[in-house]
Amino acid sequence: MAEITPQVSTGQESIPFWRDGRVLGVLAQIAFLAAVIIATGWILNNVLQNMDKLGAFRCADGSSSFVCGFNFLRIDAQFDIGETTIISYDPSDAFSRAILVGALNTIRVAVFGIILATILGTLAGIARLSSNWLISNIAKWYVDLMRNTPLLLQLFFLYFGVILLLPPIREAVQPFGLPIYMSQRGIDLPWPVFMSSARLWIGFVVLAIFLTWILWVVLGRREIQLGKSTNRTGWAFLTFLLVAVVGWFVATATSGNNQVVLAANTVSAADLAGLESVMQQRLGVNDLASVSQAVSDGTLTQEAVDTAAFTVCTLRDDRSEVNLTAQLRKLNMPYSVKAFNRENLVSEAFAAGDCDLYIANKETLAAAQTAVSGATLIPIGETPVRFSIPSLQGLNFTGGYKLTPNFAAILVGLVLYTGAFIAEIVRAGIQSVAKGQSEAARALGLSEGQRLRLVVLPQALRVIIPPLTSQYLNLVKNSSLAIAVGFPDLWTTSFITLNQSGQSVQVFIIVMASYLSFSLLISFLLNWYNQRISLVER
Amino acid sequence: MTQAKTEEPKSFGHNEEIIVCRNVRKWYGDFEALKAVSLTVKQGEVVVILGPSGSGKSTFIRCINRLEEHQEGDIVVDGIPLTHDVRNIAEIRREVGMVFQQFNLFPHLTVLENITLAPIHVRKWAREKAEERAMHWLGRVGIPEQANKYPGQLSGGQQQRVAIARTLTMEPNILLFDEPTSALDPEMIKEVLDVMRDLAQTGYTILAVTHEMGFARTVADRIIFMDAGQIVEENTPENFFTNPENERTRLFLNQILHH
Amino acid sequence: MTTIGQNSNMRTFRGREVHFNARQFVQENITRRWWLTLWLIILVYLTGVVTWNQLAAAPVTTALLFVLWAVTLTLTAVNEMTRHHNSTTQWLRNNLYSSLTNALITLLLVLLIVAGLRGFFAWAITHASFTTDPEAAAVILEKFTPPGANWGAVIDNMRNLLVFRWPRGEDWRLWFILIWSVVLVIPSQFIFRREAFRKSLIRRVLTGLWVLTPILSFLLLRGVGGAESLIPEVNPDQAWGGFLLTLVIAIFAIVASFPLGVLLALGRRSQIRGVPGWFTYGAAGLLTAVALFTSTFPGLSSAPTTAGKVLAFWPVLIPLVAYLFQRFFKGNVVALFSTIYIETIRGVPFITVLFMSIILFPIFLPPGTEVLSTWRVMVAAALFAAAYLAENVRGGLQSLNKGQYEAADAIGLNTFQKYRFIILPQALRAVIPAIVGQFIGLFKDTTLIAIVGLVEFLGVANLITAQPDWLGVRREPYVFIAIIYFVGSAVMAGYSRRLEAQLGVGQR
Repeated sequence: MAEITPQVSTGQESIPFWRDGRVLGVLAQIAFLAAVIIATGWILNNVLQNMDKLGAFRCADGSSSFVCGFNFLRIDAQFDIGETTIISYDPSDAFSRAILVGALNTIRVAVFGIILATILGTLAGIARLSSNWLISNIAKWYVDLMRNTPLLLQLFFLYFGVILLLPPIREAVQPFGLPIYMSQRGIDLPWPVFMSSARLWIGFVVLAIFLTWILWVVLGRREIQLGKSTNRTGWAFLTFLLVAVVGWFVATATSGNNQVVLAANTVSAADLAGLESVMQQRLGVNDLASVSQAVSDGTLTQEAVDTAAFTVCTLRDDRSEVNLTAQLRKLNMPYSVKAFNRENLVSEAFAAGDCDLYIANKETLAAAQTAVSGATLIPIGETPVRFSIPSLQGLNFTGGYKLTPNFAAILVGLVLYTGAFIAEIVRAGIQSVAKGQSEAARALGLSEGQRLRLVVLPQALRVIIPPLTSQYLNLVKNSSLAIAVGFPDLWTTSFITLNQSGQSVQVFIIVMASYLSFSLLISFLLNWYNQRISLVER
Repeated sequence: MTQAKTEEPKSFGHNEEIIVCRNVRKWYGDFEALKAVSLTVKQGEVVVILGPSGSGKSTFIRCINRLEEHQEGDIVVDGIPLTHDVRNIAEIRREVGMVFQQFNLFPHLTVLENITLAPIHVRKWAREKAEERAMHWLGRVGIPEQANKYPGQLSGGQQQRVAIARTLTMEPNILLFDEPTSALDPEMIKEVLDVMRDLAQTGYTILAVTHEMGFARTVADRIIFMDAGQIVEENTPENFFTNPENERTRLFLNQILHH
Repeated sequence: MTTIGQNSNMRTFRGREVHFNARQFVQENITRRWWLTLWLIILVYLTGVVTWNQLAAAPVTTALLFVLWAVTLTLTAVNEMTRHHNSTTQWLRNNLYSSLTNALITLLLVLLIVAGLRGFFAWAITHASFTTDPEAAAVILEKFTPPGANWGAVIDNMRNLLVFRWPRGEDWRLWFILIWSVVLVIPSQFIFRREAFRKSLIRRVLTGLWVLTPILSFLLLRGVGGAESLIPEVNPDQAWGGFLLTLVIAIFAIVASFPLGVLLALGRRSQIRGVPGWFTYGAAGLLTAVALFTSTFPGLSSAPTTAGKVLAFWPVLIPLVAYLFQRFFKGNVVALFSTIYIETIRGVPFITVLFMSIILFPIFLPPGTEVLSTWRVMVAAALFAAAYLAENVRGGLQSLNKGQYEAADAIGLNTFQKYRFIILPQALRAVIPAIVGQFIGLFKDTTLIAIVGLVEFLGVANLITAQPDWLGVRREPYVFIAIIYFVGSAVMAGYSRRLEAQLGVGQR
């Protein structure tokens, strides 16, 4: 048959290039690339011209270069930042540090926000499906209200219309009588503080997790061997609890003389009991527990108690102070705290006789003892974790964890807003697991818990994770609205940097790159997790 | 070769070779889907391609109008070589009509719009002429009364007949059928096969991939059996069903017929 | 059920058999799980505390609610035990009193909701002032602790909230646009839905008028010519504000982002034959070499630190980028740049894009070019919206069957015709609900321009609080704006759901 066919080879060489599909494709690509390059080139040229006029890319030696444009980052920032996360900051620090502080603040908002919004969203999503008509409708109204009004409006309302209208600090609101104080100055919460003996205890907890895991696996194998279920959740939980509690006591007992307090010569005591009797003498009572009763009876004046109270001198935010005051409170001893910003100020105040008690780490106190005659070191115990309770000292709360009004506004605002979107995702995810699946699981004789854990959850999660990822990304991006409520996040500090230095292009490059890397990081993590759980499917 | 196009061979004389494939090869990644397939179809011939699923028969006929791109070998349709030349591809697509397994009607257009779209925009006909031809072909496939409905309102068999009418209105010389009855309910298969039989008798060149053995036996001039990307056997329907030459063909027919 | 047949336990109530097994009831509602018992104890405690507190705060209401709860609960319980529900008790049994815990939760929530509503209504209505005279308002509000809402501030500033500083004499232009739109919307509801009008002249005329609307609106809003003109030109930076500005920006952004968004979506999905590998790698090699010689080697000697020396070797990243480009984009430059644009915009906050438009936009243009802030913000919003729209459209394109592309190819349509007649009409129709959703988002996000200094809806609210007459009034305008947004978004969301349902029916 071949001999009759027209002589056609693949014939590439004979096609004019303007009709060759392959060539046309590449030509289109090149034309597009050229257009992009021309457009960017035009913009870049304008940028360079404008920047040159401003002298923004000037190097130290007078030449101009893009890299030199970033030299301004080493200059002193000279503006203050209201709050910091992890690292400290001072106006004499460089611009780069100011931006870094902002980035860390953004990370703080993002981490707390994502955790809390997930919890709230999950609860609200489940509530949407509640069999109780009231619960599901309340959840529906919450979701609709949050989703249909602008986030910025919610933030403004929360900040100007709620938090700043809270009572002044002396009349702080205490919800349900808990040691949580809400005032114009923000929200003060009790916060766990880890003492030096916490290391030992955490070691025990890690051991407990390990043992529990082993027990879980061993019991699981035994269940399969025996062919019937044993109460392995209960046993594992009990093991964990037992080891953790034992560890707690071991850590407490061995920490006996870790912690000491330095008492002035006006306070002669050998231990905590001695301190107690000093206070009993000062107040002229036999039982310190009766003091508050006596004050309200009028047999003792508040002034007398305030005068008698121990003055505790300490470095601000010292962990051992939390330990000491917790013990003083337990024994009903009145005290007031004088916190200083620098170590030498504390020892000077102690030497001047301004303090009854001086609390710091053992070595500092030993050094301070030699400088003051008659001062004695009193051993006090410690537990691995102490709760630092906020208490009103003068015009501010000390102790605990302080949410500034700005941080509280952006955090609560983002959590409430994002929580509503997550609720819808969770609801849709749970509903997507068809009823038949649950019925099949029941037919197999799985228990309610097993049904949720083994059948419903894995399938719902696969539907939930992708949209959840974009909600987390939205939360991070929306955290840039912090500028509206004065919280110094990445964008706020960058914007101030921009205004102070005038280096707009560079600052925008840094900001965009930072947000893009946050976004990439979150999508990467959740994509990885999503792939892991979808592997279960195939 | 350039002359081949300018001459515009529009001859309808029999024994003219209208589709010529030589050593057509195609890979999907490492998988070789077509292993040097050669086939020549004459004007007016009805060729049925049979074969187990995954044998490359669909891929092969989809290469003929460039829905898939072959990587080696030559395909010449009606004297036009199928190369990367975009003009040749356009010309071949005008010559070759295709009917799909899933009909692929455009759900947002009415039946009439489905049919007249290409004549108006590709053949550049006036709307009146396009609609007149469309109604002619709708009548030929037996559903002129459905012209203003949407595809979603028709049964599967009706949809496939609309798809055939859409193809025919473009006045192609060659018709490719890619398993046209596989997505249909049994009672609708006959109405589509009747139309195809009618077309075969009219003198169209037809290349059909199908599992309808009855159609193959009664209508085909020639039967091609493909397996694993190769043409294993080429035979007349008579010989193919009664006295197949190849062992694999025999096996295939055994599986098909003894069910 | 378990009691049937145990005749000794059988009791009757009004002639009906009573089915109640106390042991089963306790087991199911209290002792089934230890946490259920605990939860019940907590609930009893909470409900008790709340009831007690509410009895003190509002004795009559609380007592009434409690009695109502107790009576309906009893009725439901009796009907349940006698297996003789009417529709009301059946509903109550299923939705409010399905178990002991649910019954308690119902009481608790009813009390809390009523308390909350009482507080809200006291603030918003009974203790509120509605007068626009600030002194009279102060007198009214003084009578209540806590004082109610000062709605006078909102009423007094209604014009500011809606149109801010739009020139008073030119109001007819706004009315014209409003009436024009309403006049078009009403017949559209009818004509665009009916198959009979599909090819009709009236439908074409209506489509034409719709296309004309944005142009006409812009002309009226912007004005042409000097003071003697019928519609004198206004300066948008000053004359556009309040709700008007919000609407203008949101509508402009969604309309203007459409062409770019569709192109970006097509670009990202494009199957154009890519640049061949040898070309990419060749170009990358060349670039690397040039960069090494012009940047790295001179920089190496001057770099003061080790880190600087390492950084100087940045050109080695070029081949890596080239590899990634070939690996993931198969040499398709169009897809690469579309993807970069879409993902960059979607990866950064809107607020930074807005600030960019205010601060960087002038730097991007030739020196000395002046552009009004309003234009800059509108362009930024449109460019931002385009990236999100592109992803929506891409979703629509992906939802199309591959067969549609093949059929279009097979009948001989060229690429342009294929997209114009087959692909885009279907893809865009499929994403209309998503686009409406995006518009709602944009409508809400427009509030962010208040931060960059343009006075839109929310920006006016922030100005009201600084007016001497209404110093410190904040919650009232915020609540007013929230209501407008809530209603607006809810209406659009409802419309989108209806569209979705219709589209679902229309297609096969």
